Formats: sequence, C-alpha cells, structure tokens
Amino acid sequence: MAAELEGSKSLSGLLSGLAQDTFYGHPGITEELLRSQLYPEVSPEEFRPFLMKMKGILKSIASADMDFNQLEAFLTAQTKKQGGITPEQAAVISKFWKSHKTKIRESLMNQSRWDSGLRGLSWRVDGKSQSRHSAQIHAPVAIMELEIGKSGQESEFLCLEFDELKVNQVLKKLSEVEESISTLMQPA
Amino acid sequence: MEGFSELRMDTKSKVTSQLVDFQWKLGMAVSSDSCRSHKYPYVTVMLKVADHSGQVTNKSFEMTIPQCQDFYRQFKEIAAVF
Repeated sequence: MAAELEGSKSLSGLLSGLAQDTFYGHPGITEELLRSQLYPEVSPEEFRPFLMKMKGILKSIASADMDFNQLEAFLTAQTKKQGGITPEQAAVISKFWKSHKTKIRESLMNQSRWDSGLRGLSWRVDGKSQSRHSAQIHAPVAIMELEIGKSGQESEFLCLEFDELKVNQVLKKLSEVEESISTLMQPA
Repeated sequence: MEGFSELRMDTKSKVTSQLVDFQWKLGMAVSSDSCRSHKYPYVTVMLKVADHSGQVTNKSFEMTIPQCQDFYRQFKEIAAVF
C-alpha cells in the first residue's frame, strides 16, 4: 500500500467527502475528485480499493448506528484484519463518527421518510367581528398556516382556521400524543 | 417553526379551511434499507380538512418528536392568547 494511504492526514477529508456523497446526497463527489484532491500521489488503481474499504467501514458504522463501545470494538477488529486499517486511521474514523454521527443519522432518517414532513408553521389570532362559519361575533379566531412537503418536492401550504373550541380539541389530542411519547421513552 | 400573534403572517393561501378531524399515530422506525438500526420514534398526523365548499380532504404528515413537542407548544400559546 502506498505510504500516502497509510497516513491519516487526508483521511478526515476523505470521510467528509464520502459522507457528502453517501449520506447527504450531494452530487459530484467522484472517486477521481477525492483522489486528485486528497491523494494526488496515489494511482487510481491503488486508490479505488482503499476508497471502497473506507466507504464500507463508514457504511457499516452508520448502518448499525454504533455507540462508542461498539465503535471501539469494531475498529479494533479492523486493525487486526489482514488488509485492514492502521491504529492511526482507526482514531481518525472514530473522531469523525463522534462528530458527524448526529447529522448522518438525521440524513438517514430523512432518506427513509417518504411521507410529507412538517416544514413550517406560523399562526396569528384575529379578533373577528363576524364569521361565515359561525353565528358568533367578536370571537377570536386563530389562523394557522402549515407548510408540508415531501423530500425534494415543493411545499404545500395548508391554511386552517381554529376557534377556541377547536384549539382545545387539538390540545387534548396533542396531550394524548405527549403521554404516548412519555410511555415510549420510559426505560423498559 | 415560528409562532407570532401579530397580523404579520403572509399566508400563501388566503382561503382558510376548517379542521374537521385530527388523528395521530406514534411510530418507531426500526430498520430501513439505508440503515439497519434506526430506532427513532416519529408522529404521523392525519388531518381531515373541509374547504369553503364543504369538500373534505385528508392531509397527512410526519413529525419528529421535537417537532411534535414544538407543535404542541404552539397550540398552547394560541390557547393562551385566546
């Protein structure tokens, strides 16, 4: 293996590039770009297996959402393998995962969400003097705008009107959700 | 997500709909082809809304737990204004 590949200096940059491509879906991070920018002294033939190895390691860590104990065990095993990684490289990978774990996890979550997500919410309260929908006068009304959309698609805006009764009905539902969440989050 | 009670909101749709029903589901994503170990909870909401002509449509969307908690907080703020 070329001496440059054994070093860990450019590895951090390589892992960032891999994350951009594999998890964040940024286009244009080619193998040739990574090689020429980070390992210009290394031939493409030597670079490819190295890149695949690092990609495989990163994907394994992300796919298993490894905690730090699992990560240590996994990387140690990689250093002991034939054609594995060096302890210095293991340290770089470990540091990278610790700082990028949350963002990568979020990207993976978004990749598997195919329904619309809530992108934005704004509201105001109007004091209405008359209403098409009810005989009440001088009753405050909340106007809420929800912005929802699927990944990569334009937003849909939903504009809803709530009187006090409606708001309380929704509040009751949301407190049920909160209760369910609390129950779920309790340690088994 | 911002909430504010002044008349500054610039709505993209000027026509408002009425909320007819609000249903929710709390789910847990366990695994997917992009990640074998997700373990993240999420809330799916199904709104039945009636437009000015009375036609009812379903709108559903997903929220993360923090988003859902913020959603709840916004409604509590609205109730406080009332």
